[in-house]
Amino acid sequence: MMNKKLKISFIISYSILIIYAIVSLFPFIWAFLVSITPLNGVDPVTGEKFGVDIMQWPPNINFFRVPPKVFGVDATFENYKKIFEVVPYYSRWFLNTVIYALALTLGNLLLDTLGGYAFARLKFPLKNFWFILFLATMMVPFQVTMIPQYNLMVKFGLVNTYPGLIVPKLTSVFGLFLMRQFFLNFPKELEEAAVIDGAGIFKTFFKIVLPNAKPAITALSIYTFLGAWNDFMWPLIITSSKEMYTLTMGLNFFKTSYYTFWQYMMAATILMTIPMIIIFFSFQKQFVETGKLSALKG
Amino acid sequence: MKRKTKEAIAGYLFALPIIITILTFTIYPIFAAFYYSFTDYNPLNARNLETKFNPQEALEFHLGVFQTDVSSVDEIIDFFDLLSFIKYDVGVNLDETKEKIILENFDTQKLLKDFVHGRLNKEMKLSDFMSEYLKSGKKYFKRYIPNLLGLLNFKKMFNDQYFRISLFNTFFYTVIVVPVQTFLALILAVAANSKIKGVKFFKLTFFIPSITSSAAISMIFWMIYSKPGILNRLLGYFGFQPIAWLENPNTALPAIMVMNIWTTAGYFMITFLAGLQDIPSSIYEAARIDGATPNKIFWKIILPLLRPQILFVATMGTIGCMQVFDQIYFLIKNMRNITISFYIYKNAFEYGNMGYASALSLVLFAIILSLTLIQRKLVKETY
Repeated sequence: MMNKKLKISFIISYSILIIYAIVSLFPFIWAFLVSITPLNGVDPVTGEKFGVDIMQWPPNINFFRVPPKVFGVDATFENYKKIFEVVPYYSRWFLNTVIYALALTLGNLLLDTLGGYAFARLKFPLKNFWFILFLATMMVPFQVTMIPQYNLMVKFGLVNTYPGLIVPKLTSVFGLFLMRQFFLNFPKELEEAAVIDGAGIFKTFFKIVLPNAKPAITALSIYTFLGAWNDFMWPLIITSSKEMYTLTMGLNFFKTSYYTFWQYMMAATILMTIPMIIIFFSFQKQFVETGKLSALKG
Repeated sequence: MKRKTKEAIAGYLFALPIIITILTFTIYPIFAAFYYSFTDYNPLNARNLETKFNPQEALEFHLGVFQTDVSSVDEIIDFFDLLSFIKYDVGVNLDETKEKIILENFDTQKLLKDFVHGRLNKEMKLSDFMSEYLKSGKKYFKRYIPNLLGLLNFKKMFNDQYFRISLFNTFFYTVIVVPVQTFLALILAVAANSKIKGVKFFKLTFFIPSITSSAAISMIFWMIYSKPGILNRLLGYFGFQPIAWLENPNTALPAIMVMNIWTTAGYFMITFLAGLQDIPSSIYEAARIDGATPNKIFWKIILPLLRPQILFVATMGTIGCMQVFDQIYFLIKNMRNITISFYIYKNAFEYGNMGYASALSLVLFAIILSLTLIQRKLVKETY
C-alpha cells in the first residue's frame, strides 16, 4: 500500500518535471532548428515564396545522417556566417557588449569589494549615515533615476559614448551590500593574525582578505556580467548610433529591419545567448546549488 | 599616526569610489526626479539655448534683404517684427513671461545697428545672443530653468487615459504573473524534492530561460507567437483558428505574461528547492505516521515552512512585474497594451515630457513600495 502510493507520487513528480523540461527547452530548440535551416522568404522581385516551411509540425528532423536534416532539408551553419555579412554591425555589437559587460564586471568587482570591506570592517566617520542613505535607495526603481542620469550624461557630453554607457553602472548598491554581508561573516581571526604580524590595513586586505573572498567575488562577477550582457534599458537610452549599440539593442534593430528572415534572426539570437549558456554551465554550482545569485532577475 | 586615524583614512580610501558614484548616479538623480516632477522639464528646451546660429543670416532671412544691400537702420526697422524674429528665425522657445521680458527689454536699435555695420556675421549660442541684446532679464535666457508647475503633473494623470490604461495593464500583469509563477515554481520544487534521479538535470534545464536576455527571449517568442508560427500550428490540430497573438490587443498582454512566467518560474523554483531541502525529513515522516495526506502535507506543513521564500519570491516577482519594460518594448504594437514603465520611457525620451515622466516614475515608486509593505504584512499575518 505504502509502496504503491510512493510509486504514484514518483510518477507524478517525474511527469511534471519532464513536461516542464520540454516546455523550458522547446523555444530554444525551435530557435536553433530554424537557425540551421537554409533561408526562406519572399523574393523581393518576383514576389514568389522560396525555401521550406519552418513552422511545420513535426519538424522532420534526422540527426543521424550527414548532413543532418531539419524541416526535411539539409541543415547548414551558413546563417551564422551570413549574419555578419548581412548586418555588418553585428560584430561591432558583440564587441560593445563584451566591453560593456567586462568593464562593469571589473568595476563592480573592484569598487564594490573595496566598499563592502570598508563598510563591514573599518571604522570611518559618517559610516552609518552613508549606509542608511544607500540602503534607502535599494527600493527605488530604475525608472526614477534614469531620466536625471541621462540628463547628467548630456551635461557631461557623454551620450552615445563608452564612458556614458559604463560609468554610471560601475558600482551598485546591491553589490556593495552583497560584499559587506560576506565580509561581516568573514572570520576576524585571519585579519587579526595579520595585524599582529605587523601588516597594515592595505596589506591585510590585499594579501589576506581578498584571496579568501573568492566565492563572494565570483558570485558578484557572474551576477554583474550577466546583468550587463542582458541589459537593454540603459543602452537603449544612452546609445543613439548603430556603432554604439549593444547586442540587445542590435537585436531590436535587426527585428525592425530584417523581419522576414527568421533564420538570420534566430542565428543572431542563439549566438548572443551562447556566451551566457557557457558561463551558466561553467558556474552552475553558484547558480543552482547555493542560491547565492538570488535577485538575479528582479 | 594613530591606528584610529589610519583606519578612518583607509576606510574613506576604500569607500570613496562607491560613495561618489552612488551619490552622483543614484542619490542625486532621486532628488532631481522629485524636482523634475514639479516642473515641465523638456530636454528639447534644455538644449535650445545651447544651440548655435548666425545672427546675420537669421536677420537677412527675417527681413528678406542681404546685409550688403542695407545702409541704415531706418530702411529696415519697419520690416522688423521682434517676437516673430526671436521665435521663428532665431528659434528661442518662448512662453508668456519670456515674451514680456523680450518686448520690454530687447535692444532692437543695437541689434539693427550691428547688422547694418556687418558685425553679426558669426556663430553664436542662443544664450550669448540673448544676453548681448537684452538690457535686463538676462538670467531667463542664461540657462534652462523649467517652469514650476506645482502638482499639475500629478493632477494631469487623472485625465490621462494612457496613464489609466498603462496602470491597469501593469496591475493586471502583476496580479496574474506573480501568483502563477510562484505557484508553478512551488509545484516544480516539490516535484524535484522527491528522491528521484536526474534532479540536477531538471534544475539546470529549468534555469536556462532566466539567464537568457529578455531581448533574445522576445525574439524567439515573436517567432513562436507569429500568425504562421508553431503555436498556431500546434493549436490547429485541436481545431483552433490561427491568431496573430501579439498584434491582437486582446491576446498580446496575456501572451507576454505566459512568456514571463516561463522565464522566471524555473528560476524561483531554485529558491523554493533550497528552502525545501532545509526542512528536516523527520517532519514529513512524523506527519505521514499521523496519517496526513500528501495534499495536507503540502498545505499545512510545506507552505507555512516556506513562508520566507514565498515572501521573497512574491516580492521579487512583484517588483519585476511592476517594472516590466523590455518585452513590452520589443513585442507590443498597440498603445492599448502598454505598461507604466513603457509609458514613462515614451514620455521622457520620445515625447520630451521629462517632468511628467518623472512624476509618473514617482507614482510607480510609491506603488511598488506600498505593495512590498502590504505583502510583508500579509505573509506575516496569514500564517
